[in-house]
Amino acid sequence: MESTHSPHRIALLFNANKGFDREVIAGIGQYLNSTRVEWDLFLEEDFRSRVQGIERWRGDGIIADFDDPQVAQALAASKLPVVAVGGSYRDASLYPAHIPYIATDNAKVVQLGYRHLIDQGLPRFAYYGLPPAPGNAWAAERETTFIELLQTDGMEVTVYRGLPTSAGGWDNSVEQLIEWLQGLPKPVGILCVTDARARQLVQACLLARIAVPEQVAVVGIDNDPMAQLLTRVPLTSVMQGTEEMGRTAAHLLHQMLRGADHSATRVVVPPAGINVQASSRHQPLRSPLVMRARHYIRQYGCLGIKTEQVADYVGVSRTALEEHFRRELKQTVHQALLQHKLETARELLAHSALPLADIAVRCGFTSLQYMYAVFRREFDITPKQFQAQHRSAASGNPP
Amino acid sequence: MTTPLHPTATASSAMPWGSLLDGRKVHRWTLRNAQDMRVDISDLGGSLLSWYAPDRQGRLADVVLGHADPESYAQAKGYMGAQIGRWANRIRHGSFELDGVGYKLDRNQNGNLLHGGSEGFHQALWQVEPDGDGLLLILHSPDGEGGFPGNLDVQVRMALADDGSLSMDYQARCDQASPVNLTAHPYFNLGGGRGDIRDHLLWLDAENFLAVDAGLIPTAQESVAGSAFDFRRAAPLGSRLNWPHPQLSVAGGFDHCYCLGDSPGQPRKVAQVCDPASGRRLSVITDQPGLQLYTGQHLADSPNRDGGHYRPFDGLCLEAQAFPNQINSASAEQVVLRPGAVYRQHTRYQLDTY
Repeated sequence: MESTHSPHRIALLFNANKGFDREVIAGIGQYLNSTRVEWDLFLEEDFRSRVQGIERWRGDGIIADFDDPQVAQALAASKLPVVAVGGSYRDASLYPAHIPYIATDNAKVVQLGYRHLIDQGLPRFAYYGLPPAPGNAWAAERETTFIELLQTDGMEVTVYRGLPTSAGGWDNSVEQLIEWLQGLPKPVGILCVTDARARQLVQACLLARIAVPEQVAVVGIDNDPMAQLLTRVPLTSVMQGTEEMGRTAAHLLHQMLRGADHSATRVVVPPAGINVQASSRHQPLRSPLVMRARHYIRQYGCLGIKTEQVADYVGVSRTALEEHFRRELKQTVHQALLQHKLETARELLAHSALPLADIAVRCGFTSLQYMYAVFRREFDITPKQFQAQHRSAASGNPP
Repeated sequence: MTTPLHPTATASSAMPWGSLLDGRKVHRWTLRNAQDMRVDISDLGGSLLSWYAPDRQGRLADVVLGHADPESYAQAKGYMGAQIGRWANRIRHGSFELDGVGYKLDRNQNGNLLHGGSEGFHQALWQVEPDGDGLLLILHSPDGEGGFPGNLDVQVRMALADDGSLSMDYQARCDQASPVNLTAHPYFNLGGGRGDIRDHLLWLDAENFLAVDAGLIPTAQESVAGSAFDFRRAAPLGSRLNWPHPQLSVAGGFDHCYCLGDSPGQPRKVAQVCDPASGRRLSVITDQPGLQLYTGQHLADSPNRDGGHYRPFDGLCLEAQAFPNQINSASAEQVVLRPGAVYRQHTRYQLDTY
């Protein structure tokens, strides 16, 4: 039916530098592919220039990121059909009037991260947020939700907003962050408002020789691949329902172009999941020796280190370290090293496109054959089979 | 890795579970597997009473909804966990014609037959026998029960495997031609009751579903493409329930049958549900042509196990079956069981974590 008309001209007002916005756009693309709806999409490299002239633009509809107050303002009186995308608000009066709004559920995003930290057996919690600024109302929403959750649970609330990301210089902000971290009673689970903040926090911990996750367990928000790539300790992160937001926004606009009135429609999309990685895998340990040893193994375990080097780092004899490991973890240091290498290998097999031989090297196995032998012995499956299983499972959907 | 309590799947012997108002005694059996999963099954309705399964942290919780006691199962209207027959889902006006003979059935919902009528298999006391690592559930449905023709003998073998799958293998024989459509009706909440199913993500491998009229009788096959019904990519139920769609208004949520493509007869994975908070994941594998998705919008009056009531969207059902009202359609012959033939169905629910 649609093909008899010329395609609708649709502007996507998003900041494609943000992972969140890119994923929403991907969701819009999924919707178009699933319906064979044809839209001419207008997506500017500098989206702000588009915002300024938007009232003169000759198009049929707009999907826009309303977290940016400039965008929200420019479109408030638009004559074109507009679908807004952005963060959820606890106070419903903060939503734009007469515009359909697709929201990421900030409350549930925070809840998912917080519950995960509780599940790790942590006794206390803190929040690393952002100072208020135009365009980050979502940060305040998340912070307030976190505070309310802790108050409901009768927990003490500790919130640190730090410095704005660009101001004050890197050294200064890390120094202050370390000072805050050192003052926190430990162990502590910290929920960070974004992965960018979480990455900064992990880095500060490593600089200050604070073990992650034994002393500070960290959860971020966004599941941003860039932050993952740049973090020494793999980051646990809450995944927002971004693609579903894009699909929903496209669906509403599609219907509006056919004459439907959705001015009062609001769809709040729950998070898509939590990617659990090492930064939050907190296991309460009693021996500080074991804690330090595992901290070392997590950082250098894939560089082919041996029990001896771990003992050197911790500053005790091999025998003493083995004794501590046996008592605390019911395994030898060698087994702990092997376990770390295998976990890293599984992670890379499941989520990277690296060749098997490279994965073996990266995980500190002396040869591909050795990785095969150990992998088979421990998991009763070859690395290749494991990779195949996960590839099919990870291609978005089950086979 | 903790050492499993039970190295391989096992089935317990019968345990007394109380009695009904009419004095009949009811029992429960327990299946276990190497992951410490535990499934309780009753002879009352062949019901799945509970399914304890580990979350991402290895903690066990019950992932199916249930009532407190046998009498609640006998009284309640939600078909909770029950085996459903002789006809699962609806038959328009409770009537059909077969080989030139018209039949009148029990009209127990809005003038239509639902789930075998008020005397359906969910109300029966099944005969249960341990069978190796599983249980054999046996039922005789006499000629004329609910208005259906012929003596029907049904058996369901239920077994819990070490991979976390609960399989149901159905067989039925009848001494007269009769429509037969069997299914199971567990309500899943993968969070173990922490949160409702609107935060669950559903993937469902179907390109079409059956649109329904106000009585929830199918009227036409519709494409899911680009609609709230499109789960070919996993999507949270919470957002889809808020997409505008006249069919969602008709049913107050999802209560629709999906058409599972063109390879019925072969068991294949047709649906998957993920709960981000607990990390539990449910897969549905079946050889049936249809899968009814019901999001539990009418749960409000249904008693829970703690003396209170469930709320709408506390659980969701994925019922593998033939198409609703198929006996009154052009493909009626596919759902008729004739003397000498055997009805077979294989469906399994599999639980794991991700």
